Amino acid sequence: MGTAVVMTSCTDVEVLPRTTSTENNILENELAYKQFLAKLYAGYSTSGQSGPAGSGDIGGIDEGFSQYLRQYWQLQELPTEEAVISWSDGTLFTLNLQTWDDQNEFVAGLYYRIFYQVGLANEFLRAASDSKLDERGFTDEQKAEVATYRTEARFIRAFSLWHALDMFGNVPFATEADPVGTIPGQVDRQFLFDFIEQELNEIESELPDAGTNEYGRADKAALWTLQAKLYLNAEVYTGEAHWTECITACKKVIESGAFEIESNYQLNFMADNHTSKEIIFAATFDGLYTRTWGGTTYLVNASIGGSMTPTDYGVTGGWWGLRATSGLVDLFPVGDNRALFWTDGQTKEISEISEFTNGYAVPKYVNITSTGENGSHQTHPDTDFPFFRLADVYLMYAEAVVRGGTGGDVATATGYVNELRERAYGDASGNILSGELTADFILDERGRELYWEGHRRTDLIRFKQFTENGIWPWKGGVAAGEETSTHFNLYPIPSTDLLTNTKLTQNEGY
Amino acid sequence: MKTHYKTLMLSHFVKHKVKSILTLFMVLLTVAASAQSRTITGKVTDGESGESLPGVTVLIKGTTTGAITDFDGNYQLEADEDAVISFSFVGYEDQEIPVGSQSVINPVMRISISELEEIVVVGYGEQDKADVTGVIVAVDAKDFNKGAIVSPEALLSGKVAGVQIKQGTGEPGGGMSITIRGGSTFGALGGNNAPLFVVDGVLVQNANHSPGGFSGGRNPLNFLNPNDIENITVLKDASAAAIYGSRGSNGVVIITTKSGSALQKPKLVYDGYFSMAEMAGEYDMLTGDELRNLVQANDPSLLERMGNANTNWMDEVLRPAMGQNHYLSFTSGIDNGGVRLSLGYQNIEGIIKNSNTERISVSFKYDQSFYDDQIKVSANVNSALTKDRFNDGIIGGAQTYDPTQPVYDTTNTELGGFFEYPVMGQGPSNPVSSLLQSQDFGEYMRNLGNFKIEYKPKFLPGLSASANLGVDAYNGDRKRYLPTTLRSQARQDTLAGELRFENMSRFNPTFTGILGYEKEIESIKSKINVQVGHEVQDFNSDYYGYRAYGLTTDEFDFYSAPYAKEVEPISSNQENRLVSYFGRINYSFDDKYLLTLNLRRDGSSKFGPENQFGWFPSMALGWRLLDENFMDFATGIFSDLKVRVGYGVTGNQEIANYQYLASYSLSAQTAMVQMGDTYYNTLRPNGYNSFIKWEETTSTNIGVDFGVLQGRISGSVEVYRKSTSDLLASVSVPALSNLTNRLLSNSASLQNQGIELQVNTVVLDNRDWSWNVSFNASYNENKVTGYSKTEPDDFEGYPVGGIMGGVGNTIQMLRLGEATRSFYVYETIKGEDGNPVYGADEFGNPRDPMELYVDQNGDGQISSEDLIIYKKPDPSVIFGLTSFTSYKNFDLNFTLRANLGQHIYNNMASAYGYMDNVRGVGPNVVNLHKSVLQTGYVTEQYYSDAYIEDASFLRVDNVTLGYNINTLPNMKVRFYGTLQNPLLFTKYTGLDPEVFGGIDRNPYPKSRTAVLGLNVTF
Repeated sequence: MGTAVVMTSCTDVEVLPRTTSTENNILENELAYKQFLAKLYAGYSTSGQSGPAGSGDIGGIDEGFSQYLRQYWQLQELPTEEAVISWSDGTLFTLNLQTWDDQNEFVAGLYYRIFYQVGLANEFLRAASDSKLDERGFTDEQKAEVATYRTEARFIRAFSLWHALDMFGNVPFATEADPVGTIPGQVDRQFLFDFIEQELNEIESELPDAGTNEYGRADKAALWTLQAKLYLNAEVYTGEAHWTECITACKKVIESGAFEIESNYQLNFMADNHTSKEIIFAATFDGLYTRTWGGTTYLVNASIGGSMTPTDYGVTGGWWGLRATSGLVDLFPVGDNRALFWTDGQTKEISEISEFTNGYAVPKYVNITSTGENGSHQTHPDTDFPFFRLADVYLMYAEAVVRGGTGGDVATATGYVNELRERAYGDASGNILSGELTADFILDERGRELYWEGHRRTDLIRFKQFTENGIWPWKGGVAAGEETSTHFNLYPIPSTDLLTNTKLTQNEGY
Repeated sequence: MKTHYKTLMLSHFVKHKVKSILTLFMVLLTVAASAQSRTITGKVTDGESGESLPGVTVLIKGTTTGAITDFDGNYQLEADEDAVISFSFVGYEDQEIPVGSQSVINPVMRISISELEEIVVVGYGEQDKADVTGVIVAVDAKDFNKGAIVSPEALLSGKVAGVQIKQGTGEPGGGMSITIRGGSTFGALGGNNAPLFVVDGVLVQNANHSPGGFSGGRNPLNFLNPNDIENITVLKDASAAAIYGSRGSNGVVIITTKSGSALQKPKLVYDGYFSMAEMAGEYDMLTGDELRNLVQANDPSLLERMGNANTNWMDEVLRPAMGQNHYLSFTSGIDNGGVRLSLGYQNIEGIIKNSNTERISVSFKYDQSFYDDQIKVSANVNSALTKDRFNDGIIGGAQTYDPTQPVYDTTNTELGGFFEYPVMGQGPSNPVSSLLQSQDFGEYMRNLGNFKIEYKPKFLPGLSASANLGVDAYNGDRKRYLPTTLRSQARQDTLAGELRFENMSRFNPTFTGILGYEKEIESIKSKINVQVGHEVQDFNSDYYGYRAYGLTTDEFDFYSAPYAKEVEPISSNQENRLVSYFGRINYSFDDKYLLTLNLRRDGSSKFGPENQFGWFPSMALGWRLLDENFMDFATGIFSDLKVRVGYGVTGNQEIANYQYLASYSLSAQTAMVQMGDTYYNTLRPNGYNSFIKWEETTSTNIGVDFGVLQGRISGSVEVYRKSTSDLLASVSVPALSNLTNRLLSNSASLQNQGIELQVNTVVLDNRDWSWNVSFNASYNENKVTGYSKTEPDDFEGYPVGGIMGGVGNTIQMLRLGEATRSFYVYETIKGEDGNPVYGADEFGNPRDPMELYVDQNGDGQISSEDLIIYKKPDPSVIFGLTSFTSYKNFDLNFTLRANLGQHIYNNMASAYGYMDNVRGVGPNVVNLHKSVLQTGYVTEQYYSDAYIEDASFLRVDNVTLGYNINTLPNMKVRFYGTLQNPLLFTKYTGLDPEVFGGIDRNPYPKSRTAVLGLNVTF
């Protein structure tokens, strides 16, 4: 084989990429780590590396459909009285009716997003370990900066694990100690609760003080709010209530003084909502730089249809998808300005979910600024999505107090609730007396204040209204609504994951 | 093809280095002559027709002295009295005539019916057909499909058993799918079922190059001018393809271009044609009046949204399409070699306005021997500049746009004078406006060059060494301009107007070195031929471009970038390499027992260090049964009888680069995230599988070659089974185990098995009449034989086959034990008339799904658990028939094709054929598919089995009638007319029963074409 000799110089079979980076040539300074951290935050906003679609993070489902916030929102809202969607895409419709099964691709979409996010955080913690930073010759100053990023990565992991705890319960689990390729085992809700609780306690002191981190990044207040959420629902998660711890966490947020209730309720959902002093932690979007077919692109566009003029909301197209059932509409008495319904050409009751004009439309999220300007792009809004805002913390405080937690008092709680109601009514006409502050009132008030913000399913479950008891149109697949099996309180582990990971067992009832 | 031309004149050997191919070409054109002995002259004629035969090789036996007959069949050479002159010509039996005292010898040649003496192309070489042990089918230029053909694959359609060539779109030069023996990979999961293409010895990359999802041209093989192709050979089984190792799993297609030959007189050929095409078939959408009546009856409130026109939107976008093709070639023998030069121009319009393909092609081929045939040099270049105009995105819109609205609205000057719904409202945009106002061009240059030098030393007869350097270079642009006057752009408000420009280039050099030795040892009746080789192939691709939008003016169209508010740059590079070692042994004993052994070792950069190399062995045995003594009784019946058995392993590595490597991707400018006041590009660690390795196909083939009636009927029968394991497919991985949820993995397995029959018959070969018929038939069944190792038996399968309608809906399934991509649908309940239950009740309301579909699991509701496997898209049986008849100066040939047992999901009907679809999202109504009149579906019923249609068909592919004038001096003239796709018989109700993937969704409609041509040979 004499000819072989001629070519030996270029017979090396290994060809390394030139425009694709590897850990060794890209993670060489703290900016690269910040870009990596940015990917963790972007996990809630974008769906891939191209924007709005292309080079998607996960596969097997349309990239826009799979976007984290879009699926999180749909799974928290569509099965409740707050929203229905008209589209017939795949198994989407079953979310309206609480008739999903373990082959629902939208359930799978969020499931894989959540664990994508957790896996990404684990990879970050491995790549940003002090020993790796030493290998790369980072200075102490650089190492300190990256250490803050690590803390935030742990917060993000805890945040997504909380979604897993809340929605799926018994899930696969891995930390940075499990390298890529390890098949994860399954943990239960108690384990997850304990893990999240411990993680949050460990990183609390390391996160920047409330209101001091860069916009879009987590600080102590985000962590306290997550603690409050965890403790508020602890009884559901573990069987043991933690009302007092919830109050403690809420008080830390409120007493930090970093946030205040905005006088304009709608500012929280507008194109310039990054200026809202009420928002504690948000998924950020931008018409020019942070594009997705999920996120607020979905929330703004899908809410528009019928006789609505899209440009009134800062976009050029409407997707004719989302409306409210009368169950949400009926929560609002006359005078409550938080009721942002579009009724022209719409019927209040829904005889056909697939017909956009059935049920009131809800243009709560808009791509118009508080001064009436359009956002920077007319398909992809600038509007951020508030995961946590102060009003929610007020209501959590009130609920924990009413349910018997210590460290707070009913008078303060009533004051907080009335602060929200004064904003809603424009005056004190809607104020309540402390005696009227009951748990049931708070559930309704949460509906009025926080509807379409991705809280409803969790709230209804805590009040045992999501499957048993509560009735609203189309629940259970019938127009009048009917009770459903309690196993729907948890979403199923997607069949694809059960089949590929034999260490998993399905949630009860599926 | 059949003879290795020997050379005669060494005295005029010109020694030089190849500095410029053109100067070389000029120098070598000097033909020299020299003389000894007596002059012999004569004329060679065809024994059947009596016509003179030009181009016959005339050689003095045992020497390299000879001549080639001229245009009128005349020859002249010098020979001694005791010499024997041999006459040979492709397709005729050889003749040998002793000179004796004659000075004029006029041999009469007989057409050779038996094809046994043919030489066929095999991987990295040639072989006597009689010695072939693998499954190889060669199609020569004379048997190619005729007509206005742009893509080389189309030449072969219907000619080879078990090879399905599908034109899924009617675009001129549009992509073709070739599937050999059912395909070995999960095309639907990202695999690639296309065979390996080898053009003049260079393994070419045939995947469309679209790094940004936007390709420079349509079909990457279009750079080859069909007129330049002499022969296409298909290697179907592993024993033939294993020499190509890692890329042989889907078969190999070897394309050989035409060349000049020594002793050949200069020949000039012109071929030209004009073509005209119109759409074949009809769209099944409602007319304006029909839609008005239906709306009046069902939903009169919608009438106010409608207009008064009766516009047929498809008519508005279609046109009769013209085409022309001109081709000039020059072929000549030179000193101990030959040259060929050709020039082609083709411009074929699409039947959709503003779409076409235009090609300028040049090819050059040169071979010459030196040093008494010890050294042979050959070089060839095929180059083409292809320009395409694209306009295929408007078909869906043209079908569904309200037929009661007019095309134009002269008052609407802001949007180019077209009728449009309000810009900032809902509703679709006028498809004719989009068709006429957008500009979308692709332009690419592809050059395939090859330089080969072969050394056969005299000191050791039988030894040969060759080195081959091939280069496949591609450079293309795609540019698209969307003016602000398009409604879809105007909707972007301040960001209206878009220009997208992309440059893509590829550079793939290949080096191949082969050392061979052949020896005949008569004492032990053995012939042995050994080859070892080494090959390195590099694939390099670059990609740059930008997207500029928010144009402040429409003045500068493709030069608008400086006037854009936003410009996004893009760039990337990809590279991979294949390093291979291979060897082959051919051994024959007593000319009766044949053995072929192949072994290839491939290393691919697509796999990680531990899995880079793979072994691909094959073995085949042949037994020339007819040559056995005990078969003497049969020699009166058979002229050929050979049994072959082959077994081999081939591979597949057609996956994206760097999949095994832990890598990071930086996001684009539109996928950044805000931190403080700054937007950061994000850095993503990508999912990876460091364990991926070759996909392997093991195949077994048993075949019989036969010839009866002196070869008047010849052919072969093959039985095969192909099993593919470690299939490379994108499959689900456990959540949290990797940095994505779907990963390219070695997972499932698949099996294809079938029978093939290929028959060639000479029905008539009289003086005036000749008639040849070739027929092929094949039966193939495929099924999924396994998933990945971790999945239990009750796994439902992988949903595949995305459809129009909704997002993410799929209609096919890869399920264990079922045919690949079987349809997965609800079974409709049939009424008394045998048709599915009408979708609407007497009040026009939709029926409950329980009334429409069979509740398979009996749970009282119709859910995804009631879906069933029903029919499959791939044909069970494929037929092809080619007939060639000539009578005196006339000839007539045609090709028929039939596929049986294939089904199509009529997505046009399912997406547009339900009553609620008429209610558009906005101020418009949407036109409906006529199927709504039969199904009565009110709401969308995508999963109804009513949409699965039998798509078996019989198609007359092309018919050509030619008239030849052979009486002109020094000139031959031929006139011909061809009809392409003149007749189609099928039960399928959609436009055409051949669609990609078995799902009929808005394809570019196919055409029926008439061609009128002229061929002149000087």
